[in-house]
Amino acid sequence: MLQFDRRLLQHFDWVMLLMLLLVGSMALTNLYSSTFITDTGPSSTFYKQGFFYAVGLALLFILLVIDYHRIAKLGYAFYGIILILLTYTLFFVKAIAGSQRWIDLGFFNLQPSEPAKLILILVLASCYATMNVPGGYRLRDLLKPILLTALPFVLILKQPDLGTALICAIIFVSMTLYVRLRWSTLALLSGAGLSCAFIGWKFLLKDYQRKRIETFLNPEADPMNHGYQIMQSKIAVGSGKVFGKGFMEGTQGHLHFLPERHTDFAFSVWGEEWGFAGSLFFLSCYFFMLVWGLNVAMSAKDKFGSILAFGCTMLIFWQAVINLFMIMGFLPVVGVPLPLFSYGGSSLLTNLLAIGIIMNVRMRSFTPDTSSNV
Amino acid sequence: MANLYGADKSPIRKQNRRRTESLLDTEKRREVRSARLAPRDENDLSGYKKKALYSCIIVIFFFSVIITRLWFLQIQQGEAFSTLADNNRVRSIEIAAPRGNIYDRKGRELVTNRPSFNVVWMREDNKINDEWLKNLTQILDEDPSVLLEKIRKMANTPGHLPVRLAEDIDWETVARIENNRMHLPEIKIEVVPLRIYHYGNMASHLIGYMGQVNKAELDKAEDDPLSKGHYKGGDLIGKMGLERLREIDLRGEKGHHNLEVNALGFEQENLKGDEPLPGNDIKLTLDVELQKIAEEEMALNHYAGAVVAMEANTGRVLVAVSSPELNLEEFVGGISHKAWNAMLNNPQHPLVNKLVQGQYPPGSTFKPITAFAGLAEGVITPETSIYCPGFYRFGNRIYRCWRRVGHGDVTLKRALAESCDVYFYQTGQRLGVDRLARYAKMFGLGSRTGIEMEHEKAGLVPSTQWKKKRYGKKWHEGETLSVAIGQGYDLTTPLQIAQMTSVVANGGTLYKPSLVEEIIDPDGETVSQFTPEIISRITGQGQNLRLIREGMVEAVNAKRGTGREARLGVSGLLVAGKTGTAQVVRLAQYRHLKEEDIPYEYRDHAWFTCFAPAINPEIVVTVLVEHGLHGGSTSAPIAAKILKKYFEDRIKVLKIAEQQATSDLSH
Repeated sequence: MLQFDRRLLQHFDWVMLLMLLLVGSMALTNLYSSTFITDTGPSSTFYKQGFFYAVGLALLFILLVIDYHRIAKLGYAFYGIILILLTYTLFFVKAIAGSQRWIDLGFFNLQPSEPAKLILILVLASCYATMNVPGGYRLRDLLKPILLTALPFVLILKQPDLGTALICAIIFVSMTLYVRLRWSTLALLSGAGLSCAFIGWKFLLKDYQRKRIETFLNPEADPMNHGYQIMQSKIAVGSGKVFGKGFMEGTQGHLHFLPERHTDFAFSVWGEEWGFAGSLFFLSCYFFMLVWGLNVAMSAKDKFGSILAFGCTMLIFWQAVINLFMIMGFLPVVGVPLPLFSYGGSSLLTNLLAIGIIMNVRMRSFTPDTSSNV
Repeated sequence: MANLYGADKSPIRKQNRRRTESLLDTEKRREVRSARLAPRDENDLSGYKKKALYSCIIVIFFFSVIITRLWFLQIQQGEAFSTLADNNRVRSIEIAAPRGNIYDRKGRELVTNRPSFNVVWMREDNKINDEWLKNLTQILDEDPSVLLEKIRKMANTPGHLPVRLAEDIDWETVARIENNRMHLPEIKIEVVPLRIYHYGNMASHLIGYMGQVNKAELDKAEDDPLSKGHYKGGDLIGKMGLERLREIDLRGEKGHHNLEVNALGFEQENLKGDEPLPGNDIKLTLDVELQKIAEEEMALNHYAGAVVAMEANTGRVLVAVSSPELNLEEFVGGISHKAWNAMLNNPQHPLVNKLVQGQYPPGSTFKPITAFAGLAEGVITPETSIYCPGFYRFGNRIYRCWRRVGHGDVTLKRALAESCDVYFYQTGQRLGVDRLARYAKMFGLGSRTGIEMEHEKAGLVPSTQWKKKRYGKKWHEGETLSVAIGQGYDLTTPLQIAQMTSVVANGGTLYKPSLVEEIIDPDGETVSQFTPEIISRITGQGQNLRLIREGMVEAVNAKRGTGREARLGVSGLLVAGKTGTAQVVRLAQYRHLKEEDIPYEYRDHAWFTCFAPAINPEIVVTVLVEHGLHGGSTSAPIAAKILKKYFEDRIKVLKIAEQQATSDLSH
């Protein structure tokens, strides 16, 4: 089964790998600084993330060998498992900091909501790829994808983890817009979406979640809490000026003024220490990675590959946008990490695998679709 | 082709197929591929391409927004955020500036600073450890509740600010704390400059005292561009006297000890700070030696009152005494209620600066003005002779001369020398109150001198207009008689009398009395230097003023002069002066009592004002003793003591010369 077509190697996605390695080394450099402990040196957090990178890359290469169609076959199985894990998390896991997100596996705290995003992409892609409706999808055709999204969405929202749930919803919207919709469907969906947002704000959001949004809209009203985090993040990024304060020299990060400085606010540390120049370099790499992902979606040899690559690209893109907007004070604090950059094993592995899938699709864009021949 | 991948079930078949396909060349592969793809799929894929392109635009858009935002934050607003970041991490602890010293005119130290030691707690983790608390209470001999109360008061202040547990502890306690360093890990000794008064309470009303800044002073400082941001709660500020009036000169600039702290306020490392800049020193015009004599004389006799000595030709104040003095040490670190109340209830009113706040009828010290006005207005001449039978009848009232038996025929010189009331009743009557008032004002009466002292009173020079305004009544001519001898409505401060005397002495120039000789900055450079300030000048009256001076010379030196006690004992250096008695009450019940039997508060005030030398006067001395009865016997000797000190060297020379002369004569 793992027999490898040598020609696949010819089409190995070196571009994506290069971008990934660039982003990854910046991520680890930044983590080294942001978690450095003055008295004891580099922290265990740094080594842990390095280990996750190694494991993730290994998994990525294993994934490359397997044809993405083959992985997709297991999609629904994964989907079932992840729903069970999410349910388990919700009912049997002790809350950490007010939400139930992690399953203790002994060697690793798994956050099932992270792989859930990738699995959602997988099942949505296969769903859309197999469903052919002339003239575009009608609303009833969308029932299945909506249901597929709604299950993990609700389970994650209940944890509560607004950020991840939101990402699931955005993935659904992006992927659905990617495939062919009827105009009427689009209109109906957007209408429904708006009313859902309204109802959600009114009835579903927890007080602290609403508070975050209100704080964001008026940060001065609440200087020491959520507004404080945004303010400190803006101070960190802004004080980096053109060339930054230098590696390990960021005062906002090292003196603990920045909250969550190695997870959600990791990029604030980068901005502080490397300035506008460093941020621009990082963003260029990131941007190129995403555009490359879209290129892969464009050049995929089949619908499934295209949707899959697109979904994975959007997964990284939207998380990055939300995270960066939050760091720069455009969005409230929602707890979305910067993919491949923020600390967090589950998130890192998920995003590495997403990159792996894109590379997988790329590699096989030029080979005839062997699996679908009758 | 409905299912893109579901059709293939067998791995073996797939492998076989792969092998065959691998043999095909690229061109063929393409054909196969396009043949296999249904038109719908191709259609969808080209749709995806378009959408991926749109997505590209969306990605570009969002990244542009992010980069624009970064540019705004890091380049446009970079400096501002940089400052905010520094504000976050740098905590500044103020270092009090040593206050400027106060010297006398010859550079002798009156007030300087001494280090005082405070015990402070650096709240590293904000936890009170029972062990060190116990140790500290033992060393300080203080109840734990007192310390805990101080900690509680500081509970809501930022953690990097130390908590002051004890202030101004003695050396022994400092040593004990240092020895117990091991057991008092978070306790530190803070050194703060405090005032030290080298001459005790000398010139206490003039120098004033310091105290903790209060709310009103803080608010006032915030409105003043010079003082904005200078003070914080707990800082010391001048509360009275020159300490208050010269606060800006004396205070200096605070220094800062900068610390880098983390978000929890823990000290990370020391940063560069700035040293405090000491305040400017003030050199007073005061002469410590003369001041000391005056204060000692007043204190020795338990006199309440005021003594002032001025340079006749500049307005420099050499002696400024308000007796009794304040106890300045009681004010250091805040005065107790008990001490304050004791001062309030003291019948000698130590809190009142009698030099400028005490208003007394000038009594006979006013007579030179009446005489001068009479001469200037031509109502009398030096030869005008007035008969004094011991009283003067005006209307149906009898106005008495202080000498019941009368002075007989009196001319100007004798009138001043023997202070004949009748002579001045008549002169005053000829002048009228309004002309008298005009002349009194020429000598500075009725308005503030402008000396650097607080709450100065203006005194009172009555006139018909004033009475109309004040009481709505017509002026009675009889009242003019009282005013002419410095009684009735007349009110003056001791400083005004000194100022008036110097106008007589220097031939007509009214100088503003000044206390500050020089302001010297910490580098020793002069910031400002005293220059005489002339308020007004009486011109064309040199001859008349000379006549007044001659009368005042007689008052001290003539056989029947009232101020003979002020003589210096050398014929070559004559003093000129005028005694005065300010009536406190005219109660009939006390009129016939012996003086010693009159209750203290009803006794007359004793004035003496003088200048010396009689020719080319240099110095003016004025003494007021509250309820001192007689200027000649109570006040004049004090003035004499000051003059003797002032002319010490010259008197010695003159005495030797005089002895020589007498021995020459005898030969």
